[in-house]
Amino acid sequence: MFDEVLGQILLIARDAWGFLAGLLIVVAMLGGMFYVLQGTAGATFGGGKMTSMALIGLVGVVILVLVAFLLIPQLGEMLKNLQPDAPF
Amino acid sequence: MSEITTALLDILREAWVALAAAILAFALLAILSNTLRTVSATILGANLWVWETVSALVGVVVLLLFGFLAVPALANAVQVSFVACGPIADLGALSAALIGGIGALRMIKSVLTSILAASVGGRTAMSDALTEIGETVLGMAAAGLVVPIAARFLGAC
Repeated sequence: MFDEVLGQILLIARDAWGFLAGLLIVVAMLGGMFYVLQGTAGATFGGGKMTSMALIGLVGVVILVLVAFLLIPQLGEMLKNLQPDAPF
Repeated sequence: MSEITTALLDILREAWVALAAAILAFALLAILSNTLRTVSATILGANLWVWETVSALVGVVVLLLFGFLAVPALANAVQVSFVACGPIADLGALSAALIGGIGALRMIKSVLTSILAASVGGRTAMSDALTEIGETVLGMAAAGLVVPIAARFLGAC
C-alpha cells in the first residue's frame, strides 16, 4: 500500500541529492577559486598572513568536500543496515 | 476479530517500513545540506554559522540513531508490559498488539518530524515532536498499567 508513495518520496529524494551534490561542487569550486585569488593577491604584494590564511581555507574546503563525498555515503550504508523492522 | 487485527497490523507494519526508509532518505539529505551550509560558511568566514551547521549535523545523526535503535526497544518494552487475562484475554492481546503498533508508528512519525525540524533549525517543532514521543510512551505505559488493574477490579482476572 505504501510502496508507491515511498517510491515517489525516494525519487524526489534522489533528485534532491543530485541537486545538492552538484551545488556543493559548484560552491566548493567557487570557494577554491576565491582562496586561490586571495592567496595569489597576498603573494603578489607580500602579504604572508593573507597567503597562509588562503591556503588553510583552501585545504579546509577540500577536506569538507572529501568528507561530504566519502563519509556521507558510508554513513548512509551504515545507517541503512541499522534500519529496524517493525517491532510489533 | 483476529483476521481484522492481522490485516490492520500488516498495514501498520508497511507504514513503519515506509516511514523508516523516508527517515533515512531525509536524514541523509539533511546531512548533505548541512555540509553544503558548512562549506558556504567556511568560505564566507562565518564561524558561528559553521558551529550551527555542525551542531545541526550531529543532531540529525543522533536523532536518527534514536529513531532506529531506541524507538523499537521502547515499543517492545511497552508492548511486553501489557497483560491480558481472564475471559477476554484474546481480545486484550489483540488490543495490546494494536495499541503497541499505533504507538510505535506515532513514535517513528515523531522522529521523522524532529529530523525535518532539526535539519532546518526549527527548535519548537523539534521539541514538540520529541514531547510527542514522551507522551506516546507515557500513554502506552499508563494503558499497560491501568488495564490489568481494571480487569482485577472487575473480577476478570
